[in-house]
Amino acid sequence: NRPILLQGHERSLTQIKFNAEGDLLFSCSKDHIMNVWFSHNGERLGTYDGHNGTVWTIDIDSQSRFLVSGSADNQLRLWNVSNGKCLYVWEFPTAVKRVAFSDDDEKVVCITEQRMGHQGAIRVFRLNRDGDGTDQSLEPEYMFHPVGSKATVCAFTYTPNVILTGHESGKVALFDVTSGTEILNNERAHMDSVTDLQLSGDRTYFVTSSKDKTARLHDTKTLRVLKTYSTETPLNSAALAPNKPYVLLGGGQEAMQVTTTSARQGKFETRFWHMVFEEEVGRVKGHFGPVNTIAVHPAGTCFASGSEDGFVRVHHFEESYFRGKPYGDLEIDD
Amino acid sequence: EDAVEESNVSAELIAHRKRLVDEWNAWRVRCRRDIADEKGGKGKRPEHVGGEEAKEVIE
Repeated sequence: NRPILLQGHERSLTQIKFNAEGDLLFSCSKDHIMNVWFSHNGERLGTYDGHNGTVWTIDIDSQSRFLVSGSADNQLRLWNVSNGKCLYVWEFPTAVKRVAFSDDDEKVVCITEQRMGHQGAIRVFRLNRDGDGTDQSLEPEYMFHPVGSKATVCAFTYTPNVILTGHESGKVALFDVTSGTEILNNERAHMDSVTDLQLSGDRTYFVTSSKDKTARLHDTKTLRVLKTYSTETPLNSAALAPNKPYVLLGGGQEAMQVTTTSARQGKFETRFWHMVFEEEVGRVKGHFGPVNTIAVHPAGTCFASGSEDGFVRVHHFEESYFRGKPYGDLEIDD
Repeated sequence: EDAVEESNVSAELIAHRKRLVDEWNAWRVRCRRDIADEKGGKGKRPEHVGGEEAKEVIE
Protein backbone atom coordinates (compact mmCIF):
# COMPACT_ATOMS: atom_id res chain seq x y z
CA ASN A 1 0.00 0.00 0.00
CA ARG A 2 1.83 3.07 -1.25
CA PRO A 3 1.50 6.33 0.63
CA ILE A 4 0.02 9.32 -1.17
CA LEU A 5 2.50 12.16 -1.42
CA LEU A 6 0.93 15.61 -1.20
CA GLN A 7 3.08 18.10 -3.08
CA GLY A 8 1.96 21.69 -2.85
CA HIS A 9 3.98 23.30 -0.09
CA GLU A 10 7.35 24.86 -0.69
CA ARG A 11 8.51 24.85 2.88
CA SER A 12 8.14 22.78 6.03
CA LEU A 13 4.75 21.78 7.36
CA THR A 14 3.70 23.17 10.73
CA GLN A 15 0.31 21.53 11.36
CA ILE A 16 -2.13 19.22 9.56
CA LYS A 17 -5.72 18.43 10.52
CA PHE A 18 -8.56 16.28 9.21
CA ASN A 19 -12.10 17.64 9.20
CA ALA A 20 -14.74 15.78 11.26
CA GLU A 21 -15.81 13.56 8.34
CA GLY A 22 -12.21 12.85 7.43
CA ASP A 23 -12.74 13.44 3.71
CA LEU A 24 -10.60 16.58 3.84
CA LEU A 25 -7.09 17.19 5.11
CA PHE A 26 -5.93 20.73 5.89
CA SER A 27 -2.28 21.72 6.01
CA CYS A 28 -0.35 24.86 6.90
CA SER A 29 3.27 25.71 6.35
CA LYS A 30 6.17 28.10 6.62
CA ASP A 31 5.43 29.03 2.98
CA HIS A 32 2.59 31.32 4.25
CA ILE A 33 -0.25 29.31 2.70
CA MET A 34 -2.74 26.65 3.72
CA ASN A 35 -3.98 23.86 1.50
CA VAL A 36 -6.97 21.53 1.61
CA TRP A 37 -6.73 18.07 0.05
CA PHE A 38 -9.05 15.13 -0.57
CA SER A 39 -7.77 12.53 1.87
CA HIS A 40 -8.71 9.53 -0.31
CA ASN A 41 -6.62 10.47 -3.34
CA GLY A 42 -4.45 13.40 -2.30
CA GLU A 43 -5.88 15.77 -4.88
CA ARG A 44 -5.62 19.42 -3.88
CA LEU A 45 -9.03 21.02 -3.53
CA GLY A 46 -7.90 24.54 -2.78
CA THR A 47 -5.57 27.06 -1.18
CA TYR A 48 -6.15 29.67 1.51
CA ASP A 49 -3.93 32.59 0.61
CA GLY A 50 -3.51 35.81 2.61
CA HIS A 51 -1.11 35.40 5.49
CA ASN A 52 2.23 37.19 5.29
CA GLY A 53 4.29 34.87 7.43
CA THR A 54 4.62 31.29 8.58
CA VAL A 55 1.20 29.81 9.27
CA TRP A 56 1.84 28.02 12.56
CA THR A 57 -1.55 26.54 13.26
CA ILE A 58 -5.01 25.72 11.92
CA ASP A 59 -8.29 24.22 13.06
CA ILE A 60 -11.57 23.36 11.35
CA ASP A 61 -15.02 23.44 12.94
CA SER A 62 -17.09 20.24 13.17
CA GLN A 63 -19.31 21.30 10.24
CA SER A 64 -16.34 22.01 7.92
CA ARG A 65 -17.76 25.49 7.50
CA PHE A 66 -15.11 27.67 9.15
CA LEU A 67 -11.34 27.42 9.29
CA VAL A 68 -9.17 29.42 11.70
CA SER A 69 -5.46 30.01 11.22
CA GLY A 70 -2.71 31.62 13.27
CA SER A 71 0.44 33.08 11.81
CA ALA A 72 3.83 34.69 12.42
CA ASP A 73 2.33 37.81 10.79
CA ASN A 74 0.56 38.36 14.17
CA GLN A 75 -2.86 37.55 12.70
CA LEU A 76 -5.65 35.18 13.55
CA ARG A 77 -7.84 34.65 10.50
CA LEU A 78 -11.27 33.15 9.94
CA TRP A 79 -11.91 31.53 6.55
CA ASN A 80 -14.82 30.09 4.62
CA VAL A 81 -13.76 26.48 4.08
CA SER A 82 -15.66 25.88 0.84
CA ASN A 83 -14.79 29.02 -1.16
CA GLY A 84 -11.41 29.92 0.38
CA LYS A 85 -12.44 33.48 1.26
CA CYS A 86 -10.98 35.17 4.33
CA LEU A 87 -13.91 36.30 6.48
CA TYR A 88 -12.20 38.15 9.33
CA VAL A 89 -8.75 39.16 10.55
CA TRP A 90 -7.74 39.75 14.16
CA GLU A 91 -4.40 41.54 14.70
CA PHE A 92 -2.15 41.11 17.74
CA PRO A 93 1.23 42.47 18.86
CA THR A 94 2.91 39.06 18.46
CA ALA A 95 2.67 35.80 16.50
CA VAL A 96 -0.22 33.37 16.91
CA LYS A 97 1.22 29.97 17.81
CA ARG A 98 -1.86 27.80 18.40
CA VAL A 99 -5.58 27.88 17.66
CA ALA A 100 -8.41 25.48 18.52
CA PHE A 101 -12.19 25.35 18.24
CA SER A 102 -14.44 24.40 21.16
CA ASP A 103 -16.45 21.18 20.67
CA ASP A 104 -19.64 23.20 20.04
CA ASP A 105 -17.87 25.34 17.37
CA GLU A 106 -18.93 28.50 19.24
CA LYS A 107 -15.50 29.52 20.49
CA VAL A 108 -11.90 29.73 19.38
CA VAL A 109 -8.93 29.79 21.73
CA CYS A 110 -5.57 31.15 20.62
CA ILE A 111 -2.09 31.55 22.07
CA THR A 112 -0.01 34.57 21.17
CA GLU A 113 3.71 34.52 21.70
CA GLN A 114 5.67 36.21 24.45
CA ARG A 115 8.09 38.71 22.91
CA MET A 116 10.12 41.71 24.10
CA GLY A 117 7.66 44.01 25.81
CA HIS A 118 4.69 41.73 25.28
CA GLN A 119 3.44 39.01 27.58
CA GLY A 120 2.20 35.75 26.14
CA ALA A 121 -1.58 35.75 26.05
CA ILE A 122 -4.46 33.35 25.75
CA ARG A 123 -7.60 34.76 24.17
CA VAL A 124 -11.00 33.19 23.67
CA PHE A 125 -13.23 34.56 20.90
CA ARG A 126 -16.92 33.85 20.64
CA LEU A 127 -17.70 33.35 16.95
CA ASN A 128 -20.77 34.82 15.36
CA ARG A 129 -21.95 31.94 13.16
CA ASP A 130 -24.94 33.84 11.75
CA GLY A 131 -24.84 35.14 8.22
CA ASP A 132 -21.71 34.77 6.12
CA GLY A 133 -19.29 34.84 9.06
CA THR A 134 -17.83 38.29 8.34
CA ASP A 135 -19.58 40.00 11.27
CA GLN A 136 -17.20 39.15 14.11
CA SER A 137 -16.31 41.01 17.26
CA LEU A 138 -12.82 42.44 17.38
CA GLU A 139 -12.53 41.97 21.14
CA PRO A 140 -12.02 38.60 22.76
CA GLU A 141 -14.62 37.31 25.18
CA TYR A 142 -11.84 36.39 27.59
CA MET A 143 -8.15 37.14 27.74
CA PHE A 144 -5.45 36.38 30.27
CA HIS A 145 -1.70 36.09 30.64
CA PRO A 146 -0.61 32.76 32.09
CA VAL A 147 2.13 33.41 34.63
CA GLY A 148 5.34 31.40 34.53
CA SER A 149 6.34 29.29 31.57
CA LYS A 150 5.09 30.19 28.06
CA ALA A 151 2.11 28.25 26.75
CA THR A 152 2.91 26.39 23.53
CA VAL A 153 -0.28 24.39 22.88
CA CYS A 154 -3.92 24.58 23.99
CA ALA A 155 -7.32 22.97 23.54
CA PHE A 156 -10.82 23.09 25.01
CA THR A 157 -11.80 20.32 27.42
CA TYR A 158 -15.29 18.81 27.68
CA THR A 159 -16.00 21.25 30.53
CA PRO A 160 -17.20 24.65 29.21
CA ASN A 161 -14.67 27.47 29.62
CA VAL A 162 -11.93 25.15 30.83
CA ILE A 163 -8.91 24.80 28.57
CA LEU A 164 -5.86 22.58 28.60
CA THR A 165 -2.43 24.05 28.00
CA GLY A 166 1.05 22.66 27.42
CA HIS A 167 4.08 24.81 28.24
CA GLU A 168 7.71 25.42 27.34
CA SER A 169 8.80 24.15 30.78
CA GLY A 170 7.06 20.82 30.24
CA LYS A 171 4.11 21.82 32.38
CA VAL A 172 0.55 20.83 31.53
CA ALA A 173 -2.29 22.86 33.07
CA LEU A 174 -6.03 23.45 33.20
CA PHE A 175 -7.23 27.07 33.08
CA ASP A 176 -10.60 28.63 33.75
CA VAL A 177 -10.76 31.13 30.87
CA THR A 178 -13.41 33.29 32.53
CA SER A 179 -11.04 34.24 35.38
CA GLY A 180 -7.69 33.32 33.85
CA THR A 181 -6.87 31.22 36.89
CA GLU A 182 -4.93 28.01 36.78
CA ILE A 183 -7.25 25.32 38.15
CA LEU A 184 -4.74 22.50 38.19
CA ASN A 185 -1.26 21.78 36.89
CA ASN A 186 1.30 19.05 36.51
CA GLU A 187 4.65 20.87 36.56
CA ARG A 188 6.50 17.66 35.76
CA ALA A 189 4.33 16.35 32.94
CA HIS A 190 7.43 16.69 30.72
CA MET A 191 11.05 17.71 31.27
CA ASP A 192 11.16 19.98 28.21
CA SER A 193 8.85 21.95 25.91
CA VAL A 194 5.46 20.44 25.06
CA THR A 195 5.19 20.38 21.25
CA ASP A 196 1.76 18.90 20.57
CA LEU A 197 -1.43 18.05 22.42
CA GLN A 198 -4.28 15.98 20.95
CA LEU A 199 -7.43 14.86 22.76
CA SER A 200 -9.41 11.63 22.60
CA GLY A 201 -12.84 11.76 20.91
CA ASP A 202 -14.65 12.36 24.22
CA ARG A 203 -11.85 14.66 25.50
CA THR A 204 -11.38 12.62 28.69
CA TYR A 205 -7.73 11.92 27.93
CA PHE A 206 -5.04 13.44 25.77
CA VAL A 207 -1.59 12.74 24.42
CA THR A 208 1.32 15.19 24.45
CA SER A 209 4.68 15.11 22.71
CA SER A 210 7.78 16.85 23.97
CA LYS A 211 11.34 17.83 23.14
CA ASP A 212 12.22 15.61 26.14
CA LYS A 213 11.91 12.63 23.71
CA THR A 214 8.80 11.25 25.33
CA ALA A 215 5.11 11.34 24.62
CA ARG A 216 2.64 10.95 27.44
CA LEU A 217 -1.00 10.11 27.93
CA HIS A 218 -2.85 12.15 30.59
CA ASP A 219 -6.19 12.08 32.37
CA THR A 220 -7.91 15.38 31.45
CA LYS A 221 -9.69 15.66 34.81
CA THR A 222 -6.73 15.04 37.14
CA LEU A 223 -3.77 15.68 34.79
CA ARG A 224 -2.33 12.42 36.08
CA VAL A 225 0.15 10.84 33.66
CA LEU A 226 -1.39 7.51 32.62
CA LYS A 227 1.24 6.27 30.16
CA THR A 228 4.70 7.23 28.92
CA TYR A 229 6.22 6.45 25.52
CA SER A 230 9.99 6.94 25.60
CA THR A 231 11.94 7.38 22.37
CA GLU A 232 15.49 8.44 21.50
CA THR A 233 14.58 11.57 19.57
CA PRO A 234 12.89 14.93 20.30
CA LEU A 235 9.20 14.61 19.45
CA ASN A 236 7.18 17.21 17.55
CA SER A 237 3.81 15.52 17.36
CA ALA A 238 1.66 12.81 18.94
CA ALA A 239 -1.74 11.57 17.78
CA LEU A 240 -4.29 9.01 18.95
CA ALA A 241 -5.64 6.36 16.58
CA PRO A 242 -9.44 6.10 16.92
CA ASN A 243 -10.71 2.51 17.30
CA LYS A 244 -7.20 1.15 17.84
CA PRO A 245 -5.11 1.29 21.02
CA TYR A 246 -2.22 3.06 19.28
CA VAL A 247 -0.49 6.39 19.60
CA LEU A 248 1.49 7.77 16.66
CA LEU A 249 4.67 9.74 17.34
CA GLY A 250 6.75 11.92 15.06
CA GLY A 251 9.94 13.88 15.43
CA GLY A 252 13.62 13.50 14.65
CA GLN A 253 16.73 15.58 14.55
CA GLU A 254 17.78 17.38 11.39
CA ALA A 255 21.41 16.30 11.92
CA MET A 256 20.41 12.71 11.23
CA GLN A 257 19.91 13.70 7.62
CA VAL A 258 23.67 13.98 7.06
CA THR A 259 23.91 10.20 6.82
CA THR A 260 20.85 9.82 4.60
CA THR A 261 21.29 12.42 1.87
CA SER A 262 21.84 9.77 -0.80
CA ALA A 263 18.90 7.61 0.26
CA ARG A 264 16.00 7.37 -2.14
CA GLN A 265 13.64 6.89 0.75
CA GLY A 266 13.68 9.20 3.72
CA LYS A 267 14.61 7.82 7.10
CA PHE A 268 12.34 9.98 9.23
CA GLU A 269 9.62 7.91 10.78
CA THR A 270 6.19 7.90 12.31
CA ARG A 271 6.33 5.50 15.26
CA PHE A 272 3.38 3.43 16.39
CA TRP A 273 3.16 2.65 20.11
CA HIS A 274 0.66 0.52 21.94
CA MET A 275 -1.32 3.04 23.98
CA VAL A 276 -1.92 0.79 27.00
CA PHE A 277 1.17 -1.47 27.04
CA GLU A 278 3.66 1.34 26.30
CA GLU A 279 5.47 -0.85 23.77
CA GLU A 280 6.53 0.18 20.27
CA VAL A 281 4.63 -1.82 17.64
CA GLY A 282 5.92 -0.44 14.33
CA ARG A 283 7.44 2.37 12.29
CA VAL A 284 6.55 3.95 8.98
CA LYS A 285 9.42 5.80 7.34
CA GLY A 286 9.59 7.98 4.26
CA HIS A 287 10.21 11.62 5.15
CA PHE A 288 13.51 13.37 4.42
CA GLY A 289 13.25 15.67 7.41
CA PRO A 290 11.82 15.62 10.93
CA VAL A 291 8.13 14.85 11.20
CA ASN A 292 6.53 18.05 12.51
CA THR A 293 2.87 17.10 12.63
CA ILE A 294 0.72 13.96 12.58
CA ALA A 295 -3.05 13.58 12.21
CA VAL A 296 -5.19 10.45 12.19
CA HIS A 297 -8.45 10.18 10.22
CA PRO A 298 -11.40 10.47 12.65
CA ALA A 299 -12.57 6.98 11.65
CA GLY A 300 -9.04 5.63 12.03
CA THR A 301 -8.77 4.57 8.38
CA CYS A 302 -5.62 6.49 7.48
CA PHE A 303 -3.04 8.83 8.94
CA ALA A 304 -1.06 11.75 7.58
CA SER A 305 2.34 13.16 8.49
CA GLY A 306 3.72 16.59 7.63
CA SER A 307 7.45 17.15 7.64
CA GLU A 308 10.26 19.65 7.64
CA ASP A 309 10.89 18.31 4.08
CA GLY A 310 7.78 20.16 2.79
CA PHE A 311 5.74 17.03 2.08
CA VAL A 312 2.61 15.52 3.54
CA ARG A 313 2.35 11.73 3.31
CA VAL A 314 -1.04 10.06 3.64
CA HIS A 315 -1.02 6.36 4.51
CA HIS A 316 -4.24 4.39 4.14
CA PHE A 317 -4.14 1.45 6.50
CA GLU A 318 -4.17 -2.00 4.98
CA GLU A 319 -6.71 -4.68 5.83
CA SER A 320 -4.13 -6.40 8.03
CA TYR A 321 -3.94 -3.30 10.26
CA PHE A 322 -7.63 -3.62 11.18
CA ARG A 323 -7.48 -7.41 11.63
CA GLY A 324 -4.20 -7.35 13.49
CA LYS A 325 -4.25 -7.97 17.23
CA PRO A 326 -0.57 -8.01 18.11
CA TYR A 327 -1.27 -8.72 21.76
CA GLY A 328 -4.07 -11.26 21.55
CA ASP A 329 -7.80 -10.93 22.03
CA LEU A 330 -7.92 -8.45 24.91
CA GLU A 331 -10.67 -5.90 24.24
CA ILE A 332 -9.49 -2.36 24.93
CA ASP A 333 -11.98 0.50 25.28
CA ASP A 334 -11.35 3.49 23.07
CA GLU B 1 13.68 -26.37 30.66
CA ASP B 2 14.26 -23.27 28.56
CA ALA B 3 10.92 -23.80 26.91
CA VAL B 4 9.23 -24.12 30.31
CA GLU B 5 10.89 -20.91 31.49
CA GLU B 6 9.89 -19.14 28.29
CA SER B 7 6.31 -20.20 28.64
CA ASN B 8 6.34 -19.02 32.27
CA VAL B 9 7.69 -15.65 31.18
CA SER B 10 5.09 -15.28 28.50
CA ALA B 11 2.35 -16.36 30.89
CA GLU B 12 3.59 -13.65 33.23
CA LEU B 13 3.58 -11.12 30.42
CA ILE B 14 0.09 -12.13 29.35
CA ALA B 15 -1.13 -11.74 32.93
CA HIS B 16 0.59 -8.34 33.12
CA ARG B 17 -1.09 -7.18 29.92
CA LYS B 18 -4.42 -8.51 31.07
CA ARG B 19 -4.02 -6.46 34.27
CA LEU B 20 -3.15 -3.31 32.28
CA VAL B 21 -6.19 -3.76 30.05
CA ASP B 22 -8.52 -4.36 33.01
CA GLU B 23 -7.16 -1.22 34.70
CA TRP B 24 -7.60 0.79 31.52
CA ASN B 25 -11.14 -0.43 30.83
CA ALA B 26 -12.20 0.24 34.43
CA TRP B 27 -10.84 3.77 34.14
CA ARG B 28 -12.72 4.29 30.84
CA VAL B 29 -15.97 3.33 32.57
CA ARG B 30 -15.29 5.95 35.25
CA CYS B 31 -14.58 8.57 32.55
CA ARG B 32 -17.89 7.89 30.81
CA ARG B 33 -19.69 8.20 34.13
CA ASP B 34 -17.97 11.57 34.78
CA ILE B 35 -19.05 12.88 31.39
CA ALA B 36 -22.60 11.64 31.88
CA ASP B 37 -22.71 13.32 35.30
CA GLU B 38 -21.37 16.58 33.90
CA LYS B 39 -23.81 16.65 30.99
CA GLY B 40 -26.66 15.32 33.11
CA GLY B 41 -26.12 18.18 35.54
CA LYS B 42 -26.92 20.65 32.82
CA GLY B 43 -30.02 18.82 31.66
CA LYS B 44 -28.39 17.50 28.51
CA ARG B 45 -28.61 13.95 27.31
CA PRO B 46 -25.38 12.09 27.98
CA GLU B 47 -23.46 11.20 24.83
CA HIS B 48 -20.80 8.58 24.19
CA VAL B 49 -22.38 6.34 26.81
CA GLY B 50 -22.76 2.72 25.76
CA GLY B 51 -25.48 0.30 26.88
CA GLU B 52 -24.22 -1.13 30.16
CA GLU B 53 -22.55 2.01 31.46
CA ALA B 54 -25.72 3.97 30.68
CA LYS B 55 -27.69 1.65 32.95
CA GLU B 56 -25.17 2.09 35.73
CA VAL B 57 -25.49 5.85 35.50
CA ILE B 58 -29.27 5.73 35.65
CA GLU B 59 -29.18 3.54 38.75
